[in-house]
Amino acid sequence: MSLKAPPSPASSGRGRGGRAAGPVSRRSGIARLGPLPWIAPVILLILAVVVWPVIELIRTSFLNISIAGKVRGSAGTDKFEKLFEESDFGAVLTWTVIWTVVVVTATMLLSLALAQLFNQKFPGRRITRWALIAPWAASVLMTAIGFKWMLNQTAGVLNTLMLDLGLIDSSKDWLGKPETAWPWMMAVAVFVSLPFTTYTLLAGLQTIPQDVYEASRIDGAGPWQTYRHITLPMLRPAFLVGVVINLINVFNSFPIIWAMTQGGPGYDTSTSMVFMYKLKETDIGESAAMSVVNFLMVVVLVLIFLKVSRWNEED
Amino acid sequence: MVATGAATLCMALGLTACGGDSDSGDSKTIKLVAADYGDKASNASKVYWNQVKKEFEKAHKGYKVDVQVINWNEIDKSVKNMIQAGDEPDLLQTGGYADKVADDLLYKADEVMSAKTRENLIPTFAEAGEVDGTQYGIPWVSSSRVMFYNKDVFKKAGVKSPPKTWDELAAAAKKIKDKKAAETPYALPLGPEETQGETMMWELGNGGGYTDADGKYTLDSAQNVETFEWLKTNLVKPGLTYANPASTDRKTAFADFAGGKVGMLNGHPSLIQMAKGGDVDYGVAPIPGKEGPLESTLGVADWMMAFKDGGAEKEGVKKFLDFTYSKKMLAFDEMYNLMPVTQDALKTMQSNGEHKDLEPFFEVLPKAKFYPLGDTSWDLVSAEIKKTGGKAVVDDPKQVLGDLQKKAESAAADTK
Repeated sequence: MSLKAPPSPASSGRGRGGRAAGPVSRRSGIARLGPLPWIAPVILLILAVVVWPVIELIRTSFLNISIAGKVRGSAGTDKFEKLFEESDFGAVLTWTVIWTVVVVTATMLLSLALAQLFNQKFPGRRITRWALIAPWAASVLMTAIGFKWMLNQTAGVLNTLMLDLGLIDSSKDWLGKPETAWPWMMAVAVFVSLPFTTYTLLAGLQTIPQDVYEASRIDGAGPWQTYRHITLPMLRPAFLVGVVINLINVFNSFPIIWAMTQGGPGYDTSTSMVFMYKLKETDIGESAAMSVVNFLMVVVLVLIFLKVSRWNEED
Repeated sequence: MVATGAATLCMALGLTACGGDSDSGDSKTIKLVAADYGDKASNASKVYWNQVKKEFEKAHKGYKVDVQVINWNEIDKSVKNMIQAGDEPDLLQTGGYADKVADDLLYKADEVMSAKTRENLIPTFAEAGEVDGTQYGIPWVSSSRVMFYNKDVFKKAGVKSPPKTWDELAAAAKKIKDKKAAETPYALPLGPEETQGETMMWELGNGGGYTDADGKYTLDSAQNVETFEWLKTNLVKPGLTYANPASTDRKTAFADFAGGKVGMLNGHPSLIQMAKGGDVDYGVAPIPGKEGPLESTLGVADWMMAFKDGGAEKEGVKKFLDFTYSKKMLAFDEMYNLMPVTQDALKTMQSNGEHKDLEPFFEVLPKAKFYPLGDTSWDLVSAEIKKTGGKAVVDDPKQVLGDLQKKAESAAADTK
């Protein structure tokens, strides 16, 4: 970063404490509103785009809507009760947690290693950095459909490859049953999450000043010690950003599962997001109730995470 | 721009109640929403409807037809959104109608069709369009189901004649497997696409079905549970069908049959063209039951219905339906090799000699059994069966069907 930034306009032409000489006497109607006129468009946008849909969502979850789509009046808390009584509800929540934890953990660990690698100087680094963007640039839906076809029992290249390598003795319907579908979908989810996370961590790595490393080298720190006591702590802000964004993304992840298994058979490969979507086919109110629960879970998840990470910081 | 953002977020949050009201057009414009029966651009239903639109607008000056064709996977969701947004079409052609009767959204058939057109409908289908004795659903096309088998596969496996009972079917499938005559001896598609169809064909073979004589749901009756126990132990476990029937869709099964990879399966008339396209030498036979072939097979009909709040005048809708049902019916049936619901089209198709391959289907049609179409909760029950019914061959059939029965009972209680 250049240290020779031009002086900011605010500091030029005005002495120390120059602010006090502001145009107090000319305060007119608009000025009295303070910053409001400037931030009003943003507030309106937030109200329309964020707050209103949430209100509408919560309202829908208390409505009785027929399968034809007609509103039949209030349902009270019936839809929430129906949702909690669904025989698959518990399993869906459990799998949502497993899905989120496994995918985010694997993504963060792999990205740490990848970011470290891409931070080294090696020939062809520019090209490999570009290549890393590919899974990010491609649409997630396309990637998931691609994997679905690669795993196809009769025509999939991955099945053929594994057969030829002798890893399996007959081609398998990988996505047909939950035991094998989950790991494959998790792998795809990690694959599409890697670029963003790696770049976030890479940016973090590049902000760590070289002189800190030099100092530690002079003090005789080994590579592992340097990594644990210098790199990791200084990478913390970038790491936290990566975790929070991935948590929300993976929790809300829909296209991968929908494209690969549609959450089936039954609800066996559904996360709460896919479950919500499938409920929509039979009961919109219940589906909205699931959305409300999802929304609350994300909020709680993020709050807990922020709390825990800040508590660590104070330590 | 704000509106666009809001709409996007609505979608992102899975909200469906965000739609605003939109103009339904003037009273001379008939808005038609129809399902797509085609599988490629050249035979898309849009081609058919645009032709109808052109001819109708020419014959009835002043009227306009606004055609929207939606694929089968999306049409129910789209229509639901339209209804919720207060933007109903005037006419809808899709798979079920009774759920809309429950919400009092539809015209009665006699309000939008002349007596002459109604008399031309084949009575069994017209009756299937009734809810409590009043006809709301107007049949559009029909089909009946038979068993298809691949003659080459049967010959290679040494199966002399198509199976008549379940045990014969399992034995034939075993021969096919042992001789490696086909990848999938019997294709059992219980994935979400049409679980309710394959399920009913098997349950009928054991004297079961979806409802009893009084029209009460009997999804988990002893016969039905036994049917799935049999499928589980005699077809799925020994590997005589797909490894995961609950996640295999009908279209996969049809494509596999057309590709020569399936020994036998239950199918409807559109499979004829697919099999011919794949050069498969196929035969058809009645669907095997537990003790003998089904006396009455599954009959399926798709429906046309007219919405009260579509916005177009009733007279125009009536003119359009009379026009389409009297002049353009045969064209649609022949385009997709589907079976007609009007008497004149049936007569023509049976006598003009161009539809010999449909004969086995015509034969079983008069005695065909339908889904409980006139039950206003059927559409919901059907959707639930599609979602989880297939798991009955993986998990405990009694539990899976029992769960479905509970949902069906509460749905029936809700709509009554």
